[in-house]
Amino acid sequence: MLLKTHSVIPGFHLALGFTLLYLCLIVLIPLSTVFLKTTTLTWEQFWLAVSAPRVLASYRLTFGTALLAALINAFFGLLVAWVLVRYSFLGKRFIDAMIDLPFALPTAVAGIALTAIYANNGWIGRYLEPWGIKVAFTPLGIIVALTFIGLPFVVRTVQPVLQDLEVEVEEAAVSLGATRWQTFYLIILPNLWPALLTGFALAFARGLGEYGSIVFIAGNMPMVSEIVPLIIITKLEQYDYEGAAAIAVVMLIASFILLLIINLLQWWSSRRYH
Amino acid sequence: MGIEIRQITKTFHQFTALKEVSLTIPDGQLVALLGPSGCGKTTLLRIVAGLEVANSGSILFHGEDATFQQVRERRVGFVFQHYALFRHLTVFENVAFGLRVRPRSQRPSKEIIKSKVNELLKLIQMQELADRYPRQLSGGQRQRVALARALAVEPKVLLLDEPFGALDTKVRKELRRWLRRLHETMHITSLFVTHDQEEAMEVADLVVVMNEGQVEQVGTPDDIYENPASPFVYQFIGHVNLFHGRLQTGNVRIGDLDITLDSHTEVHQAPVVAYVRPHELEISRESESTSIAVTVNSIHLLGPMVHLELLPQNSTEVLEAELTKEYYRQLRLQKGDKVFVKPRKMRLFMGGK
Repeated sequence: MLLKTHSVIPGFHLALGFTLLYLCLIVLIPLSTVFLKTTTLTWEQFWLAVSAPRVLASYRLTFGTALLAALINAFFGLLVAWVLVRYSFLGKRFIDAMIDLPFALPTAVAGIALTAIYANNGWIGRYLEPWGIKVAFTPLGIIVALTFIGLPFVVRTVQPVLQDLEVEVEEAAVSLGATRWQTFYLIILPNLWPALLTGFALAFARGLGEYGSIVFIAGNMPMVSEIVPLIIITKLEQYDYEGAAAIAVVMLIASFILLLIINLLQWWSSRRYH
Repeated sequence: MGIEIRQITKTFHQFTALKEVSLTIPDGQLVALLGPSGCGKTTLLRIVAGLEVANSGSILFHGEDATFQQVRERRVGFVFQHYALFRHLTVFENVAFGLRVRPRSQRPSKEIIKSKVNELLKLIQMQELADRYPRQLSGGQRQRVALARALAVEPKVLLLDEPFGALDTKVRKELRRWLRRLHETMHITSLFVTHDQEEAMEVADLVVVMNEGQVEQVGTPDDIYENPASPFVYQFIGHVNLFHGRLQTGNVRIGDLDITLDSHTEVHQAPVVAYVRPHELEISRESESTSIAVTVNSIHLLGPMVHLELLPQNSTEVLEAELTKEYYRQLRLQKGDKVFVKPRKMRLFMGGK
């Protein structure tokens, strides 16, 4: 006869039941209504709504800028985390606390502030103007805003992992003859990889859904700097609920597939040694 | 000449970790740096490796000045207490690492790396586990991999920082003997740090006893045990009984005991401390002029030896004695018995109370 196995922490059934109910209420039901709403459309209407040239341009813009901003954040976020963990300097705690500001700041405030700074008469914008670089009211502005919004994700996921890395492991690599660069990319980076991917995925996902800060800095020109969330809002304002839902469904599915791929990558890279 | 350490001084802020330490490690020998924690032994090892920079002094490897060489130029094999294996790499890749990171011009071909790593894995008896990751290995296996990894680069010297410190007693003993055998086949000049005197005595050709940032004594294990150079070494190596007394023109008076010495006749009045090992105390039922009356306080049977705690009549300081089980049976000792002890051998150091 098999003995029933007992977990140290009781209440598995209760905890799982609660988790499922909670996820249904908070995530699954609201999302499924989006799908339900689109069922009122025929396939043809659906296809017309989601493949209009203006909408296609906005897909490209949203995914492209979110991806670029997440890549920028992955690189510079790693650098910031590195500096915060490895070096001690005056005001380190202050800078560490500042990293979380983009989390807390209302996104509209961030958007307006960035627009003011990067407009062609703004603090930074006026120096970029002579070089022919326009940030505000262009896709470049969107990338700037998304980089700002997404920074904490990478820093906060990489920081604890970097802190846990034993210095001895690096000393071992150096004593075996590795250069600093070899130690970094052969020893440190592989250990940070899963965390870095998580941070990248979070920043990317955040970028896909961002609305508040972008509407101020993007200029919102159709075909050029109009993001998907804005098109959805515009459709809602025109009482085209079905059209809005259709585009939302495409975004949902695309985001889900991309995040799934990133998760698989992460699982694959961490499976080996965790 | 193996490693030469000249006048190394190292301070951390206010704390002096090493005070002008000079030491010569003979070529091809296995040398133990032994001392209590905080005595500076690990700091010295890390300075030799180049992982730490000394305030002053110099380090020579085989006659060549290495003081200003970078860690990677020194070609030392370093083994850490907590293994410091690369956890994202397999056992094979861990061992191959040192060969793979060499500049392209000096890097061996894939086939040579493969055969060399396999040879080392054979040496550490882990050929079957080449594809495992460090987390799938036991502590003893991990440390063997760490050692093979260090040996792969053909180091000029091998440095081991408490290599068996994190292992349990049985594995420790096995690895100790294995390291000794390995050293006998390879003869790499090796320096290892330990706080375990038994380990140092069993493994090393030469033991360096350190205390408070200075070298107390350098000698063979037997030498260190039989002829400790200072009270510190006496107390650090093995158990010891202390007798406080006075030296008076060649006579030592300890309590009621009078012992005549051949030396020190020129000293008139000085306090001395006599050090006697537990096994150097002779126990008998009959009193002699040079024996001390004691009461048996406790008896511990430890395998073939019997360990006694004895309480002298006019003192509260417990004496420790060791005798064979055979002799113990002959004496028919019981707790509370009154017996007499006499030191068979003792060593005097000036000073004390």
